[in-house]
Amino acid sequence: MRRAAVPLLALTVGVVLADSAIVTLALPEILRHLGGSVAQVAWVLIAFNLMLALVVVPAARVCVHRDPAPLAAAGIAVFAGASAVCALAGSMDVLIAARCVQALGGAFALVGCLELLVAADGEKRGVARWVTAGVIGTAVGPVAGGLLTEAVSWQAIFIVQVPIAVLAVPAAMTIPWRPTRVVAERHRPAIAPNLALVLLSAALTAALFLVVLLLVEGWGRSPAAAALAVSIVPVAAFTARPLARIARAGPRSETAAGCLLVAGGLAGLALLPSANLAWTLAPQALVGLGLGLTVDSLTFAALRDRLPRALHGGWTIGARHAGVVLGLVILTPVFTADLRDAQVPASEAITALVLDAPLRAEDKIALAQGLSDRLAEERGRVPDLHPAFVALSLEPSERSAAARLERDLDSQLERAATQAFRDSFLIGAGLALAALVPLIPVRAPLRRRRRLRSAS
Amino acid sequence: MKGPNVRALALPVVAALLVSGVLGVQAANGGGDFVPARAADPCAARTVSSVSKGIDALGERLVLIGLDGAACRLGVSREALVLDLAQPGEPTDAQVDAVRAGLLEAVDEMNADGTLPPASDLVDEALNNANLNGLLEFGIRALPDSVINAALKTDDVMRRAINSLDLRKLLGDLNDPNELTDQINAAVTDAVKDSLVARLKDLLPG
Repeated sequence: MRRAAVPLLALTVGVVLADSAIVTLALPEILRHLGGSVAQVAWVLIAFNLMLALVVVPAARVCVHRDPAPLAAAGIAVFAGASAVCALAGSMDVLIAARCVQALGGAFALVGCLELLVAADGEKRGVARWVTAGVIGTAVGPVAGGLLTEAVSWQAIFIVQVPIAVLAVPAAMTIPWRPTRVVAERHRPAIAPNLALVLLSAALTAALFLVVLLLVEGWGRSPAAAALAVSIVPVAAFTARPLARIARAGPRSETAAGCLLVAGGLAGLALLPSANLAWTLAPQALVGLGLGLTVDSLTFAALRDRLPRALHGGWTIGARHAGVVLGLVILTPVFTADLRDAQVPASEAITALVLDAPLRAEDKIALAQGLSDRLAEERGRVPDLHPAFVALSLEPSERSAAARLERDLDSQLERAATQAFRDSFLIGAGLALAALVPLIPVRAPLRRRRRLRSAS
Repeated sequence: MKGPNVRALALPVVAALLVSGVLGVQAANGGGDFVPARAADPCAARTVSSVSKGIDALGERLVLIGLDGAACRLGVSREALVLDLAQPGEPTDAQVDAVRAGLLEAVDEMNADGTLPPASDLVDEALNNANLNGLLEFGIRALPDSVINAALKTDDVMRRAINSLDLRKLLGDLNDPNELTDQINAAVTDAVKDSLVARLKDLLPG
C-alpha cells in the first residue's frame, strides 16, 4: 500500500482539480435530466470553484498545525461521499449543494496531499508531483467528462471518482509525517505569481469551458467529438515540460512565453475560419502549451522556499479557482448576451435562405413554420433544425435542394454561434496578456535604487 | 552572459512566432469573416426565381419582389420585415400600406420586363381550382387564347386583386395556409369578375 500511496495521492490531486472543469461537457445533459435554468446549471461549475477558492486557505491553516494525514484522508472521504451524492442527485439544488461539499473535502485533500507527497518524496519531487498532477488534472478534466458523458452518462463522471478516493484514504494514512520548521518560519504569500495565476486561470476558463460549449452547443457536435478535439490541450500541456527543459530558458521566460501562447491561442479561437473541428486544434495546442509552461512555473514560483508549504499551496489553489470564478463571472454574461444578440442576424440569414430556396412555395411556408417551432422550443439555445426538415413532405426532385438548404441553414447557425463566442475569447486573450503585468520585474530597480541611496 | 539572455528571450520569441503563424494561416483562410450572411439591400435589384409553376410561381415571384419593395419603403431588410410580420399580432398601418404598394410595384415591374404571363396561361389552372358550373367551365375552356387575353389582362386582374385584398387580415393569418389561400382565391375571383365587367363596359357604346 505504501508503494502505491504516492501515485494514488497524486491521482487524487489530479481528480480534485479535474473536477473544476469536468462537468462542462455534461452541463446540457444535466440540464435535460434535472431540469432548471441555464443560470442554475452554471452554478454546478461556479459552486465548486467558488467553494474551493474560499475554503482552501483556511483548510491549509488547519493542516499547518495538525498532522495532514488524517485531515487529507478525511478530506478525500468527504470528497468521495459528496461525489456519490452528486451522482445520485435528483434535483439541481442537491447537485449544487453536493458540489460545494465536494469542494470542501477537496480543499483538505489538496493541501493535505501536498504535505504528504513532500513527506514521502522530499521537497523538490513532492512539490513537482503535486504541481504536475494538478496541471494534468486541470487539462484532462473536460476531455474525461465529455467521454464519460457520451459513453455512459453524466453521473458516471462522479461515480468513477469514488473508488479512486476510497483507495486514496488508506493511502494517505500510510505516509508518516514529521513537522519541520512549521512554527519557526512564516513567509508572506507570493503576490505576483498568485495574481498572475488568478488572471491566467480566468483566461484559461475561456479555453477550457467555452471551447467545449462552442463545440457542443454552438456547432452541435457530440460530447465525444468535442472531447476528442479538446484532448489536444492536455497533450500539448504534457509536451510543454520536456520542451521547456530542452530550452532551459528559466521560469520567468517560460511564464512570459506561456502567457503569449495562451493569449494567441484564444485570439486564434476568436478568429476561426469555419466550423471544422480541425481549425480549433492549432489554437487549442497553443493554449495547451501555454498552460503547461505557465501554471506549474507560477505555482513553483509561489511555493519556492516558502513556509508553511501547505498554506502557500493553498494560496495557489485559491488563486487558480478564484481565477476560474472570475473568468466565469466576466465571460458568462458576455457570451450569453452575445448569443442572444446573435439570434437576430442568424434568423435573418435563415429567413433569406428559406425565401430564396429552390423549393415550392407551399414547402417553404411549411418549413418556415417548422423552423419557427424549433426556435421557440429551444428557448434561446442554438436549435437543431433537422426535425423541421424531417416533417416536410417533399417531392423527390426537391430532396437534394432541401438537403443543401439544411446544410446552409446549419452553417448560418454555426457562423452565428462562432461570432457569439468571439468577444469572450478575445477577453480571455486580454486576461492572459494581463497575467504578464504582475510578472514585470518592477521591484528589482526599486531595490537597487534603495541600495544606492543607502550607500550614498 | 550572452547565453542565458538569449535563452531567456528565445522562448517568448518562439511563442510569438508560433502565435503569428497560427493567426496568419487563420486570417489567410477567412478567419474573422465566419459570420452570418448579411441581409441584402431590399432597394437594390434582386433576381427572383421560383421552382413552382403557373399561378403558384406567379404568386411567389410577386410576393418576393413585393416584399423587397415594401422593405425598401420601410427602411428595413426584407428578412426583418418577414420576421416582424410573422410575429403574433396585427401588422401596423405602415406595414400594410408598404406591402400593398410593394405588391403593386411588383406587378408593374413584372409587366414591364415581360415576366407576367398572359391570362390564357393561367386559365386552366384557375378553372381547376374554381368551383364553377360544369357547362360554364367547358365554355371558358373552349375559348381561344386570343379571346381570353383580349378580355382579361393579367396586370389589371393582379392590381384589382391586390387593391381588394384585406392585407391586415391576410398578414394576420400567415400561419394558416388554408385561410391564406381562401382569401387570395376570393380576391382573385372578384378581380377577374370586376376586370371582365370593366372590359364589357368599355366595349358598350356610351
